Amino acid sequence: MTGAVGGAMIRCIRWYQRHISANTPPCCKYYPTCSRYAIEAIERFGALRGGILAALRLLRCRPWSRGGIDDVPQRYSLFYRCAWSKAHEEPRLTPLAWDDKEKAQS
Amino acid sequence: MNTSNEFLLDTSFFGWLYKILTPVEWLMTQVMNLFHEFLKLIGMSPVGFSWVLSIVFLVLVVHACIFPLYYRQMKSMRKMQALQPKMQHIQNKYKGKTDQASKEALSREMMKLYQDNDANPAGSCLPMLIQGPVFMCMFYVLSAIPYIADGKRAALGAFDQATAAEFSQTTVFGVSVTDNFTTADSAGKIVIGVFVALMCACMWFMQFNSMKRNMNQEAMVGQAAMMQKMMLWVFPIMYIFSGIAMPFAVLVYWLTNNICNLLRSMWQIYNFPTPGSPAAERKKIRDHDHENARRAKAGQMSLEEEELVKAKEQAERRETEGYQRQQPQRKKRKKK
Repeated sequence: MTGAVGGAMIRCIRWYQRHISANTPPCCKYYPTCSRYAIEAIERFGALRGGILAALRLLRCRPWSRGGIDDVPQRYSLFYRCAWSKAHEEPRLTPLAWDDKEKAQS
Repeated sequence: MNTSNEFLLDTSFFGWLYKILTPVEWLMTQVMNLFHEFLKLIGMSPVGFSWVLSIVFLVLVVHACIFPLYYRQMKSMRKMQALQPKMQHIQNKYKGKTDQASKEALSREMMKLYQDNDANPAGSCLPMLIQGPVFMCMFYVLSAIPYIADGKRAALGAFDQATAAEFSQTTVFGVSVTDNFTTADSAGKIVIGVFVALMCACMWFMQFNSMKRNMNQEAMVGQAAMMQKMMLWVFPIMYIFSGIAMPFAVLVYWLTNNICNLLRSMWQIYNFPTPGSPAAERKKIRDHDHENARRAKAGQMSLEEEELVKAKEQAERRETEGYQRQQPQRKKRKKK
């Protein structure tokens, strides 16, 4: 699914995780963290659509927001956080099974 | 004046980045100029210390803007302590399990707990990402001024050519604000050297202090500890090299910034230490003493006395009722 741009973006994020994030105390309000979310979003929806999701997530990860569990939606929608959206999902306490399967393949 | 022909920060990728950040730079120049006007109003000479003080003021303003974020985060940490039992409950559930799925489930459950109780130990990603560019802008503005004064770069915000020229004529302690270590005379070299040394010392002490006081000492073993100790030295040494290349104005900004960071971190360690660290133990003792002092003032008994009274009561009860607790009884039990 990921093209050249997506691949480059993921490599950048991985570099950030290894070299910058690993040396600083954990700072994200959400689970999965913003960087993991970004990687998953780009892997699943491509550089542009996934990138938009990741940018929105970064904007959400600010003071005066609540934080919590926030997975990449199964169905693409920019409004998946809103209860009226068809893509809306309740926060899951266990990850979906196919997440792991996909990771094992790649 | 010692400027090369082209402003290097305006070329390549960084030039593009700083172009985007222009609004922030504009705001910063306005803040500096405003404070400078104010200093002129109260009778300081327009060339000289007033510009250095405006740099310091700018740093203070930026720190004052960032501080509420830190404060909120600290407050949120305090809230976490009330959640401690519930957190331990979850941790016990996954005790001794090291596989990926359990770890993930553990963090998810923790997050859910935080979300339900409106507490979050972490700050957030966005302020961290914003902070970097803000400090970069400050650096950029200060480096750009000599070039504006020379007319090699277009005016930036409040700094037109005349103002910039006024700024770059400033000399303090015998050093011009546009001089760097290599171009300054020998007296200037000493002043700049002292500034760089102070800067590095601040940085080093900040890291050292938080490492020694604000970390769980039992967790400080193995690779994590090695990493920490390396970082303690790497950054100050990197500062020495970059400090030599920077003009004096940037050094003033840098030193003020480091002092602000140091003070904030000391305040944090004093008031909101990490649980389990030496600083936390100290705070516990201090809080205990404060409570006792308060009670003494109000004419109540101290914490120790209260404990003693309670122990005595318990011992007395044991004497009269024996060691066994009275068992609960059903209310509607048939009477024998």
